[in-house]
Amino acid sequence: MACTTEFGPDSGGRVKGITIIKPIVYGNVARYFGKKREEDGHTHQWTVYVKPYHNEDMSAYLKKVHFKLHESYNNPNRIITKPPYELTETGWGEFEIVIKIYFHDPNERPVTIYHILKLFQTSPELQVGKKSLVSEFYDEIIFQDPTALMQHLLNSAKPLTAGIWRHDTDFEVKKEQTLKAIKDARTKIRNEVAEYKEKLTLAKETINKFKDEISKISKSGGSLSVT
Amino acid sequence: MTDVRDILDIESPSTNELTKESIFAGDKRIKKKYDYKVPKRPEGMHREVFALLCKDNNDVPPLFPTDTGKGYKQMKANLGMKKVRSWKWTPFTNPARTDDAIFHHWRRVVDAGKEYPFAKFNKKIPIPAYTNTEYVQHLVTSGWTRAETDHLFDLCKRFDLRFIIVHDRWDHKKYPTRTVEDLKNRYYQVCTTLSKAKSQHEKTYIFDFEHERRRKEQLKKLFERTPEQIEEEQVLLCELRKIEQRKKERDRKTQDLQKLITAADNQVDPRKIDRKSSKKNNNSNRNKLNKADSSNAIKLQVVEPTGIKFPDFKNSGVSLRSQRIKLPSSLGQKKLKGIEQTLSDMKLDLNPPPNEIICQQFNELRSDIVLHYELKGALITCDYELQSLRHQYEALSPGKTLIIPPSLQPKSDQDIKTELIDVVGSPNVTNIVY
Repeated sequence: MACTTEFGPDSGGRVKGITIIKPIVYGNVARYFGKKREEDGHTHQWTVYVKPYHNEDMSAYLKKVHFKLHESYNNPNRIITKPPYELTETGWGEFEIVIKIYFHDPNERPVTIYHILKLFQTSPELQVGKKSLVSEFYDEIIFQDPTALMQHLLNSAKPLTAGIWRHDTDFEVKKEQTLKAIKDARTKIRNEVAEYKEKLTLAKETINKFKDEISKISKSGGSLSVT
Repeated sequence: MTDVRDILDIESPSTNELTKESIFAGDKRIKKKYDYKVPKRPEGMHREVFALLCKDNNDVPPLFPTDTGKGYKQMKANLGMKKVRSWKWTPFTNPARTDDAIFHHWRRVVDAGKEYPFAKFNKKIPIPAYTNTEYVQHLVTSGWTRAETDHLFDLCKRFDLRFIIVHDRWDHKKYPTRTVEDLKNRYYQVCTTLSKAKSQHEKTYIFDFEHERRRKEQLKKLFERTPEQIEEEQVLLCELRKIEQRKKERDRKTQDLQKLITAADNQVDPRKIDRKSSKKNNNSNRNKLNKADSSNAIKLQVVEPTGIKFPDFKNSGVSLRSQRIKLPSSLGQKKLKGIEQTLSDMKLDLNPPPNEIICQQFNELRSDIVLHYELKGALITCDYELQSLRHQYEALSPGKTLIIPPSLQPKSDQDIKTELIDVVGSPNVTNIVY
C-alpha cells in the first residue's frame, strides 16, 4: 500500500513528513501626487509587491507572480517572472488585487492572496504626499509534503542582495506584540469564562431550588384549598 | 364476412353461442406479432435517448396521457356476430317463503329448472333448543323464569339474534324490563351451558357482560357531551400539548447549559495542564486535552465540543498560513459579529501576522470567545428564568419572596435589586454589601 501511494500518479513523488515554510511580505506603497492629474484624473502612484521575508532569491522556486488589477486598467492581468515581484501603476481608487503565485513544479498548485490596494489614509502628513503610505502584510507559504523537485528548489534559494534586507514594517516586533496581546486576551477571556461558569452553576442550582420551593408551596396550597 | 353470409343466406356452421367468457375474453385475443426490425443504436447515442425513439413496439410514446391501457380497468365487452342467448318469462318460487307464492321473472332458457339464485342468501341462524329436563337440570337461575327464557328464545329465533329488536319487542307487561346486555347475557349463558351439557361441539360463547355494560356507558357519556364540554376538552388538550412542548424546551435548555458548563470545565482544566507542561511540546498537550474531553464525555453522554471547529490542514500541497485563521462559514453571522466585536473591544488585530504560534493562539482565543459568548447568553436566560420563577413564587405566596444570590444579579440594576431585598428584610442583606 505504501508503495502505491508513494509512486501513484497524484502523489507527484512527494516527500512525506516534510514541511517547508517560506515567510513572505505582500502589500502596496502609495504616494499622493498632491493634486488630481489633469489628463486622466489619477491622484496616486502605487506599487504592489510580493517580497520574501528573509533575504533570498525567490525565483529559485517561483515561476511567476500574477497580479490581477481592476478591469478598468488596460491589460489588467500583469505577470511578473523575475524579482522584484512588483508592479507600479497610477490610479484614483482602491480595489482588490488578486495575487496568484505560481511555482516551478506544476504539481504544486498556485496560491492566491487577496490584497486591498490602499491609497488613502487619514493621517495629515501622508495626505500632502510628504511620506508614502505603506499597507503590507506578513504571511507564510507552507509547503506540506513538497515534491522532490520542489524541495530541492526551495532549499537552493540564494540571498538576493549582499546588503541588509529590511521591510517598512518591523514584523518581528509586531509578531511579538500581537502574540502577547492574544495571550493576555486569552487569559482575560478564560478568567471570565471561569467566572461565568461559576455563575451558571450557581444559577442552575438556584433555579432548581426555586422550582422545589414553588412545587412545595403549590402542593401545600393545593391541599389547603381542598380542606 | 358474416354479413355477406347473412345476405346470401348461407348457414355458417361454426357460430357458437355467446357466453360470458367469450364476451370478456378481450385479453386473450391473440396479439398480432409485428415483424419489424429494431434499428441498431447509433454510436454515441445515449441508451435512454434511443429508448425514447425506438421502443420494442416501435411506437412513438404518446404525447398525451391515455387510458386505453388494460390495467385494472373494466374490459370492453367483446360483442361479435354470435347467436344471442334467449330469455323467457318463467314462474318461480322462493324457498325463503313459507307460503309457496309463485312469482314470475325473466330467465335464460339455459338456466331453466335451476333453483332461485338468491335462495342461497336465506341463511338461518341455528338457535339451540332445550327440553324440560335439560332446563331443570342446567338452566335454572335466579332472576329468570322458564317462561321468560322461553320468551327470549322465541324472540331470538324470530329476529335472528337481532338483540336490539328483541329488546324492542320484549313483553314488558309479563316480564320485568331488561337491558340489551341482560338479554344477551342470558342467551349466551344458556347456549354455553347447553353446549357443555350436550358436549357434542365444545363451542363456548364469550360475552363479557361487565365490559359491554361499561362500553355502552362510556359511549353514552361521549355521545351526551355538550358542545361546551367538547370545547373545554379541546382547550385542555391544547394546553397539555403546550405544557409538554415547554417541558421539552426546558429539558433541552438544561442539557445545553450542562454542556456549556462541561465545556467551560474542559477549557479551564487544560489551562492548568498547560501551565504544568508548558515546556513540553504541543502534541502532548493536545493529547491531554483530548483525554480530558473523552473522560468527560463518558460521564455525560453527549458533550459536543463548543467553540470553533477549524478545519485540519493535513493535505499535502502548498497553502498560505493565513488560510488557517479563516473562520469556518458554518459559524453563523451572529457569532462572527460577536467575535469581531470582542476582538476590537480588546484592541486586537482581526488579521494578525500569521506565524504558527500566533495562528494557534489566535484560533484558540476565538474558540474561547465563542464559548464566552455562549455562556453569557446562557446566563442571561438563566437570569430571566430566575426572575420569572421568583414572580411565580411571589404570586403563589403573597408577602414572601425568593432571594436570588447577589452574584447572579446583573451589575447594571444591582441597586434596584438591593432596594427590593431591603424592603423584604431578608437575612441576606449582609451579603449585598460587597
